[in-house]
Amino acid sequence: MLLLIQYTLIFSSVLILVALGGCFSEHSGVINLGLEGIMVMGGLGGALAMRYLPPDLPALAMILVVLLCAIGLGALYSSLLAIACINFKADQTIVGTALNILGTAAATVIVKAINTATNPNDVSSTIQYIRPKKSFIVNIGSFEFNWFMLIALIAVVIAYIVLYKTRFGLRLMACGEHPQAADSVGINVYKMRWYGVLISGVFGGLGGICYLLAGVSEWKFENGVAGFGFLALAVMIFGQWKPIRIAVSALLFGAFRALSNVYFGFEFLQSLNIPSTVYNMMPYIISLVVLAFTSRHSMAPKAEGIPYDKSQR
Amino acid sequence: MDNTYAIEMLNITKRFPGIIANDNVSLQLRKGEIHALLGENGAGKSTLMSVLFGLYQAEEGIIKKDGVEVHINDPNDANALGIGMVHQHFKLVECFTVLDNIIMGVEPVGALGILQKRQAREKVMAISEKYGLHVDPDALVRDISVGMQQRTEILKMLYRENEILIFDEPTAVLTPQEIEDLMQIMRNLVKEGKSILFISHKLAEIMAVSDRCTVLRKGKHVGTVDTNKTSMEELSAMMVGRNVNFHVQKGPAKLGEVVLEVSGITVASKVHKNNAVKKVSFKVRRGEIVCIAGIDGNGQTELVHGITGLEPLVEGKIKLCGQDISNASIRQRNVKGMSHIPEDRHKHGLILDYSLEDNLILETYFQPRFTSKAGFLKRDNIRDYSEKLIEQYDVRSSQGPATRARSMSGGNQQKAIVAREIDKNPELLVAVQPTRGLDVGAIEYIHHQLIAQRDDGKAVLLVSLELDEVMDIPDRILVMYEGEIVGQFDPKKTTEEELGLYMAGAKRMEVKA
Amino acid sequence: MKKNFFRREGVQSLLASLICILLGLFIGYIVLLIINPKGAFTAIMTVVKNFFTYSKPSAQAKYLGNTLVKSAPLLMCALSIMFAYKVGLFNIGASGQYCAGTCACLYAALKWHWPWLGCLALAILAGAAFGAVVGLLKSYCNVNEVISGIMLNWIILYGTNMLLTQVKEPTSPYTYPVRAEAPQALLPTLGLGTIFNNNIYVTIAIPLAIIMAIAIMIILDKTRFGYELKATGFNRSAAKYCGMAEKRNIILTLAISGALAGMGASLLYQTGFVQWECTTSSVPAMGFNGIAATFLGGLNPIGTIFSSYFIQHITAGGAYVDKTMYCSQISDLISALIIYLCGFVLFLKFAMNRILDRWEEKKRLAQASAEKGGNV
Repeated sequence: MLLLIQYTLIFSSVLILVALGGCFSEHSGVINLGLEGIMVMGGLGGALAMRYLPPDLPALAMILVVLLCAIGLGALYSSLLAIACINFKADQTIVGTALNILGTAAATVIVKAINTATNPNDVSSTIQYIRPKKSFIVNIGSFEFNWFMLIALIAVVIAYIVLYKTRFGLRLMACGEHPQAADSVGINVYKMRWYGVLISGVFGGLGGICYLLAGVSEWKFENGVAGFGFLALAVMIFGQWKPIRIAVSALLFGAFRALSNVYFGFEFLQSLNIPSTVYNMMPYIISLVVLAFTSRHSMAPKAEGIPYDKSQR
Repeated sequence: MDNTYAIEMLNITKRFPGIIANDNVSLQLRKGEIHALLGENGAGKSTLMSVLFGLYQAEEGIIKKDGVEVHINDPNDANALGIGMVHQHFKLVECFTVLDNIIMGVEPVGALGILQKRQAREKVMAISEKYGLHVDPDALVRDISVGMQQRTEILKMLYRENEILIFDEPTAVLTPQEIEDLMQIMRNLVKEGKSILFISHKLAEIMAVSDRCTVLRKGKHVGTVDTNKTSMEELSAMMVGRNVNFHVQKGPAKLGEVVLEVSGITVASKVHKNNAVKKVSFKVRRGEIVCIAGIDGNGQTELVHGITGLEPLVEGKIKLCGQDISNASIRQRNVKGMSHIPEDRHKHGLILDYSLEDNLILETYFQPRFTSKAGFLKRDNIRDYSEKLIEQYDVRSSQGPATRARSMSGGNQQKAIVAREIDKNPELLVAVQPTRGLDVGAIEYIHHQLIAQRDDGKAVLLVSLELDEVMDIPDRILVMYEGEIVGQFDPKKTTEEELGLYMAGAKRMEVKA
Repeated sequence: MKKNFFRREGVQSLLASLICILLGLFIGYIVLLIINPKGAFTAIMTVVKNFFTYSKPSAQAKYLGNTLVKSAPLLMCALSIMFAYKVGLFNIGASGQYCAGTCACLYAALKWHWPWLGCLALAILAGAAFGAVVGLLKSYCNVNEVISGIMLNWIILYGTNMLLTQVKEPTSPYTYPVRAEAPQALLPTLGLGTIFNNNIYVTIAIPLAIIMAIAIMIILDKTRFGYELKATGFNRSAAKYCGMAEKRNIILTLAISGALAGMGASLLYQTGFVQWECTTSSVPAMGFNGIAATFLGGLNPIGTIFSSYFIQHITAGGAYVDKTMYCSQISDLISALIIYLCGFVLFLKFAMNRILDRWEEKKRLAQASAEKGGNV
């Protein structure tokens, strides 16, 4: 049971972080379908940091550097979305999808190049981080507390304050709801949308490294992040673009994802004799069902997905 | 030395690809006056004001504030110079509160950019007290009336302590009573030392409230006159370039049998939880034009959607020529003789990326004359048909039937829709704001077409927000308020003021269908 | 006035696609340079050359055949995505529908020993069914088709692994080879293989895919159904206004789109060229490469034929790069880059038109002044 809670919390943390990323981007008016790719890139940044940092570094320094690398690469990568969709008014769906495919492809190429350079016989796309991973974990009894759980909690609080209590949030949401109105009072819509996308890159990158550290202690980059970016979007829609509700729905989705890791720990579930594949499918099936019931009356920002064109006002 | 002009725009020229929107236009706004800017749709009024507000940059000409030349590159510059604008389409974020909308862009903030709304609220309350602009600062914009939204826009300008206030077609969406209130507010503002630029194409308002009036026609400056030394006739001649007969000639109606019978229909709203149309009943007969009048957003759109099948009915019955069509599909209603000139020609009326000819067959493409049995389109027939229609209804475009609808002017797009709908030879023509945004020539044309349909023995249901149109065109007026029909009038026996009371919900009568 | 050659829609699309390809290859080259400057040029040329790396014409013909065998399913996936895109829908679920097709045709072939036509039909049906699910969710529940498509991709992938485990080789994660276990399910070759140096994998799949492309073009351009679908794609509200059944059209479109993707799977797996790996942990790349081919082909069915071949050409070429320095995923990187760059196509066309505008303006002015000069 404790294991279930532990996995639920860590997977929820991933979903919270990434969904908040999507939330900021969409509130600024840009649909970020590239979160999956951003997660891969953030994960790559963090994993590379863990690979190259001396493993005897103090835990705090280790955590900070790894986070910074993940955030940095995530944000940098998201700027590819920003420049295409904001400045060049490209189709947000195409570019987002391209970023997802590009993320996995690029990460694979980079990791393989690094592995092959160190050892010509190593053509895998795997990075190991057994020892550095320990910095992120504090054992409380048999419960593995992961610092990301705290980070996710703080992120929810900060996101709530930023969106609803600050000047920045007011302006950001105005750009997603009615960019012409924002423009008419002198708010630079392009700039705000850039911020929105960059913030989603920051959160996406964080979520990516969190996902890598959630279970195993090595990662094969060819696999990407198994649709987690899209699950996060489902969480965001279910959370009606509001941080607190996103946190709650992330817990629900996280629980179903965690089940596939720990279902064999429950006797009654084992006795049901359901193949493990079904548990793997669960989060995706649940999200489809949830979306089917919640999408009809969507609270989506009104102007999302529409490129803002200064000359058409 | 005190300069008499607050703003001078001298010899402004602004070009867009293909057209000159402002050609050497000058406008001088005196301090403390209400200056009207008059012109038809497309005469260049909005462009000129956008130049002043920094939304566009003029290619030629200069702008002076208090006699000093200034450069206005964006709305921030305009704001810094004390210029504020109430746009025709309000620039309000619907899911924000009134207060948030007012302070947006000039938010008072403390440390870390945290909003400090308390002092902002006090300032807003003080201003609204001073000018008599009462509105609840904590209400969400989407929940308040259009008149209230306009007040929010005015408060936005006053909160920024603007001295020069631009009103772009402010009366288009208001009831006659609200218009009266607005004029009083404008007079108050001028009394407090503000200067106002007032854009309109309605002569009566200009005569009532403004001190001077500048007239534009086709992008050119026609003249500036003192309002108390001119007449409506002179102004209209200046605006259109010829004497216009605003009253439409039509003979008495020859009523036939009932074509449309609406009994007790209710339609749900997409915006709020209440029903937008509540148990509405009426009839339209052959040979008459019935007009649904009312302020925008009182259920007219939903009523039309219910009749034409775009939205399902919650309850009630609709009969077309005696046949029950309450649950019929849009296609069935079309085939049975209903034509619909939609409110929004870009959203519903046309497929802008299709050619003109493909748009002209939008509701008839499936007929054997355009589609073969195997499902292939008969391109030759489509071309012949569209050429006939283009000729007959004088639809002008650069490349004839092959022109992309997107590249056509608004007037010609509307003519194409009118041609398509009338050529279907319908029993009932539903026309929703058919003249919106068109110039006088096109308006006259469309009015004549509506009356021709009536004289041809068709039933016409017109929905209009323009009082002139409401008074001139129909044989019977039904006033709609909050989803109900609250009054029925003979246009010859009523006045705009009387209609206004019903439109605003101040009075109502029992109307039997 | 005669229309300028460069103003033509087709010419502009072609130019834009070429620019995307060149830029994509160039950035790919730069990535190779960064990884290892020594062999970068050889490597990028290897990717572009693909089977031309072989010097013998017979070997070239054989491997051209192999590339074509894999181009056919790619073309089907690209057609699937393009068809939906014409109706304003982004069928990212093509990957999953392709996967469903794989599952259906292999299961029918290996478990039930159906003949080839039956397997093909079942694959089409499976793809169509999942396409229709996306369509139903879209039209009745307003679920974004991209998100539901992705979710279904994963559900289908897990389901396929589960089902096909019943027909896998006991000692490997792969399904039984169709050629050995179920020859009745192989697509007929009609002797086409002889053209490609007796490549046994070349079947009617290739002409069939091209015929489908042409059929799609005819449906979109010449028929009432195409007229309705495109209208729905351009302006859903207007399509509803004029009485088209937009919900039905959305479902039908996605079902057809899914059918195309499902058929694509059958066109590959029923040649016996590849086997399914029952431990596959990511959705088949075919559907994603199909996105690249769709946009590279300028959303035109005939253009898609060439772009599908090109994408498959460089993907196959990636397999030939020097593994001691680079990895074959460099091709995936390049095709992903091409999709990204395709996002800029609208801007490229806009820029082209602006250059043309300026050029014509200059010419007009020059002409005007020349006439003036002549008058004096």
